[in-house]
Amino acid sequence: MTADHWGFVLAAYGLAAVALTLYWRHLCRRERELSKMVKASSPRLPRHQA
Amino acid sequence: MSRILGWLAALGLAAGLVMAFGVAPREATQGNVQRIMYLHVPTVLVAYLAFVVVLVASIAYLWRRDPAADRLAHASAEVGVLFTGLTIAAGAIWGKPTWGTWWTWDARLTSVAILFVMYLGYLLLRGMIEDRERGARYAAVVGIVAALDVPLVHFSVYWWRTLHQPPSLLKPGPASMPDGILAALLVNVVSFALLYAYFVAKRVTILRREGEVLA
Repeated sequence: MTADHWGFVLAAYGLAAVALTLYWRHLCRRERELSKMVKASSPRLPRHQA
Repeated sequence: MSRILGWLAALGLAAGLVMAFGVAPREATQGNVQRIMYLHVPTVLVAYLAFVVVLVASIAYLWRRDPAADRLAHASAEVGVLFTGLTIAAGAIWGKPTWGTWWTWDARLTSVAILFVMYLGYLLLRGMIEDRERGARYAAVVGIVAALDVPLVHFSVYWWRTLHQPPSLLKPGPASMPDGILAALLVNVVSFALLYAYFVAKRVTILRREGEVLA
């Protein structure tokens, strides 16, 4: 019977999960930063025109 | 749209894990370590797809100078590099217990490492040139030239004597594997393709907003 090497399987899937999650979080963070920048840079209308 | 893609990708990945660990049978010669294939093969196939998208979008950009094509090429290259990195890492982890080594300068491994470095260079080039239009033009040329390595990677196992096995999918004739293994592999290919589409859609939006903020 061949050895199963579950540790290697776990390492491969674990590494992929960490890398994909970190990239996804990086994209979400950048999206939030840009939304804030767009809001901050958009000119505010005076109260009576808003 | 991006949100729907995200949920579809998450559901697909969950289904892929169930197929890989619950449905697909234990492989007779390698044992359970072969289950790394359900990660390794889909990531490399999606990386191929990503670089074909870079090729097509780069040609479109050079032809029509449409910034949307450049954003698509940029986003696809970035996600392609991520998936190529995962392919190399998963392959090295699979190689240690089955080949007895993490890495060898085999034709398939070397050509995929060159592919990774070329697209990493593509991303660095984009970051180095301040003039966005000029950077996009140079990157498009690199994106087209680097895509020539994709068929080299795929056919390297036929053209040279290699330690790496021949392709399981994308080959002439029917897939050479039992139905349970093939089904698990296909579910994972589709779910990683959905994840690629989600990441690219998100990255394209970010690039467009960055352009608006800088303008």
